[in-house]
Amino acid sequence: MKKTNPSPPKFFLRFFRWFCHPEMKNYIEGDLMELYDDRLKELGKRKAYRRFIMDVLWLIRPGIVRPIDELNQLNDYNMFRNYIKIGIRNILKYQVFSFINITGLGVGMACCILITLYVEDELSYDRYHKNLNGIYRVLHVHNHSETIVDVWGNAPVGPALLADFPEIQSVFQFTSPPTLLFEYGDKRFQENNMVFADSTAFEIFSWKLVAGDSKNALKSPNSIVLTQTSARKYFGEDDPIGELLNVDQEVTFLVTGVMEDVPSNSHFSFDGLISMTTYRDWQQEIFDNWGYVDFYTYFLIDDHAAIEALEGKIPDFINRHLPDWDYTIAFEPLTDAYLHSEAGRQPGITGSLSNVYIFSSIAIFVLLIACINFINLSTARSIERAKEVGIRKVSGAQQYSLIYQFLSESILVSLLAGLLAIVLIVVVLPMVQELSGKSLPYNLLLSWRLTPLIMGGVVLIGVLAGSYPAWILARYRPAQVLKGVIKSTSGRFNVRKGLVVFQFSLSMILIVGTTVVFSQMKYLRTHGLGFNQEQMLIVDFGWDNRVQQHIESIKAVYHNHPSVHSVAASRAVPGNFLPNAYTGIESQKEEMIFNAPAIYEIDADFISNYEIEIRAGRAFSKDFPADSTQSLLLNEAAVRLYGYVNPEEIIGKNFSQWGRKGTVIGVVKDFNYKSLHIKVEPLTLRMADERGFRNLSMRVKSDNLLATIAELERLWEQLVPQRPFLYSFLDDTFDSQYQADIRFGRIFGVFAGLAIFIACLGLFGLTTYSTGQRRKEIGIRKVLGASLTSIVALLSKDFIKLFLLAMLIAVPVSWYAMDHWLDNFAYKVGIGIEIFVVAGLVSIVTALATVSWQSIKAALGNPVNALKNE
Amino acid sequence: MKKYQLGEFEEVVMLTVGVLYNEAYGVSIKKEIETRLSRKVSVGALQSALKRLESKGYLKSREGESTQERAGRPKRYFTITAYGKNALEYTRSTRNELWDAIPKVALGLKIVG
Repeated sequence: MKKTNPSPPKFFLRFFRWFCHPEMKNYIEGDLMELYDDRLKELGKRKAYRRFIMDVLWLIRPGIVRPIDELNQLNDYNMFRNYIKIGIRNILKYQVFSFINITGLGVGMACCILITLYVEDELSYDRYHKNLNGIYRVLHVHNHSETIVDVWGNAPVGPALLADFPEIQSVFQFTSPPTLLFEYGDKRFQENNMVFADSTAFEIFSWKLVAGDSKNALKSPNSIVLTQTSARKYFGEDDPIGELLNVDQEVTFLVTGVMEDVPSNSHFSFDGLISMTTYRDWQQEIFDNWGYVDFYTYFLIDDHAAIEALEGKIPDFINRHLPDWDYTIAFEPLTDAYLHSEAGRQPGITGSLSNVYIFSSIAIFVLLIACINFINLSTARSIERAKEVGIRKVSGAQQYSLIYQFLSESILVSLLAGLLAIVLIVVVLPMVQELSGKSLPYNLLLSWRLTPLIMGGVVLIGVLAGSYPAWILARYRPAQVLKGVIKSTSGRFNVRKGLVVFQFSLSMILIVGTTVVFSQMKYLRTHGLGFNQEQMLIVDFGWDNRVQQHIESIKAVYHNHPSVHSVAASRAVPGNFLPNAYTGIESQKEEMIFNAPAIYEIDADFISNYEIEIRAGRAFSKDFPADSTQSLLLNEAAVRLYGYVNPEEIIGKNFSQWGRKGTVIGVVKDFNYKSLHIKVEPLTLRMADERGFRNLSMRVKSDNLLATIAELERLWEQLVPQRPFLYSFLDDTFDSQYQADIRFGRIFGVFAGLAIFIACLGLFGLTTYSTGQRRKEIGIRKVLGASLTSIVALLSKDFIKLFLLAMLIAVPVSWYAMDHWLDNFAYKVGIGIEIFVVAGLVSIVTALATVSWQSIKAALGNPVNALKNE
Repeated sequence: MKKYQLGEFEEVVMLTVGVLYNEAYGVSIKKEIETRLSRKVSVGALQSALKRLESKGYLKSREGESTQERAGRPKRYFTITAYGKNALEYTRSTRNELWDAIPKVALGLKIVG
């Protein structure tokens, strides 16, 4: 009789149905409804509603709410043991595939970890300084015809900054290393890496002083703080504090401290610190000269100061001190010094941020290829497990527990791969150290950060790589599978094909990359430098004045030696560092333009010794005694710098440089006095005065180099007994500029090889699998009379198509990437077609070899074996 | 000596189940307790207690009929098991022992009998 009752709040009812345990849902809901009904009659709709809502809310209790995981704890553990057991059995049963999977993943992981170590090291430069975030350095910006930014610069800027900027706590300056001959007892070494430094060194930087007082060690002139290695070199295990070192046979330095060696991850390093006051005694004038260079200025700001505030004050600062110059300064944080600095004249070798990116990408690529292999192989082989999946499902396994099972299997494989990776790393680490030039100690692997990261990464890879095959497997419908009908849908096949294409394009990109890198390296080594560097023996005698005084007679003695073709003396030789000189040259409008080109200080024989070409005018000559003070040579780049188009026109123009005035007498053809990384920069050449010589360059023509060197050394010992015979060959030292690039090339090549290896592993696995699938088909074809070649062709056809597709992708990508990399070099090879052809051929040949091995094996098999079981 | 864990509310619920004998289900238990003891009982607390008692083995349940008022949902009837009976008796006797052990002075009672 009653009409349909109004129903309880729908939302809360639904909510209740959602959270309630399914076992209890029905009757509790019944209770709720009954109560609602009663209240409706007694209390009216609103109260009934409200009470219903209260009831539902108070039903949210642990006993009533449904459990989140539906499996019983006890059951879980047992099933897990079963999964592991089955997983291990599977691994052992299909040994070839397991081997391929584990090796591929293991190699990929090892690569990744090694590159991580490398990248971490690169990123860790200078991080050991406590004051890291407050340390900045001064960049000197010269705005002449082009803007030149250098790290090194003048001395007065340091004290001026300290005085003018209250936010600056302290300033530290040091110089580029002079060459000094150190003697202690019978130990005599030419030191090339001792710098002059302010006493604030230990205030700003966190270098540890092992002995001596950090505040006072570098206060008085002629004091020196040695690194532990240097100390050991001269003093063995004895305490060097208080001892005296003889320097350049004229001065003595007092050892006032010993410090720990500068850590390898510092953007500059040195073997010892000499007190700046010493330098001040020697060359007072440069400390007030804003036009001089040779100083690196670093400073520390207060904690609460912001560098932007200081930067804002720079224009005033410049106005106050140097209003008329085209010069200003900029501040660069220490954190940018190693990887992000683009300034020239760095105190040490800078790392390359692009290298870091490139290697990180390679690591990810290689790992990606390995994971793709894994996915490919697993999905391909999933058909073998189909029956097992069917039975499990029939026995009541739910889809997600199957996924769980297959994921555990892939995690297991991943863990094994991880173990393999660690073994590989331990074995390969020494080679990597040599390859990369870094010391990567084993204990880096055990660091707190890295180990859990590696473990996590391994498991993650297992999960990621295993999820797609697991999903595919878990979806098998038991009815179909147990009947024996298994479709390998072409949809699935396309994913696999896509993965193969991807792998091969990656590998080809890496091959192209390696080829380009190597050919660029070769080009650099063989490119004409504009001078002759063959068999050029360089003898470095520091600034020894006795040698300098007798330089001409020494040269004459050597010239007389039958194996020596020509001799010259100079301050620097190609490949060395050389200074810049503030130079003024008369322009076409007859006013003096000032710039700061590089400067070579040479003698009259230098140009002919190095076979440098003269473009206009003449070289220095002994026939013109005025050359030694009134003549200047320029190179073509310098000619352009001063605004002249035709080199002939600059001949005879006036110049003013470093205290000399005179005319330009000649122009030399541009020659690469620095590495081919940079275009030839403007250069001036002048005849050095007596104190300007440091190096002898001798062109040697000899069949027996070793004997000749020995003879030349004996001559030296007679002529210059007080100095060691420090010789080197120019082509070697010049090449060492490319060390970093050669290293890069090697590392790149190694990784390209690895990527190919892994890709081929994958291809091998896939081929093995697909030929296995098609055994029956091959058997029938053979019976019908197919020849070996036609069967092999049939099996390879699919892969060739994929291959060509991969090439189509790889070519433009690698071209673009390599073009970008080559921009690092002023002189570069072209990326010709032949590189791509080579890369393509290499990849095709390896792929074919892999594919055909399996195909031939299958094609040679006895068809009876394949068809027996029909 | 067996130990029977029986909370106060659980004991009340069990006793009410006994009172209602074959008619004890969620709503009826709730109404009975509210009437007899004049205390509010929430559905959630009651259901939790019933579930706990069942899992301890003191109560057993059976499916009942569904009615129109319950929107077609069935009832769940509870009855006391033998084990549950032991638990109740144990609780009762231990309470009584405690009562008897109280010295007359503490409660200021006149001695009865």
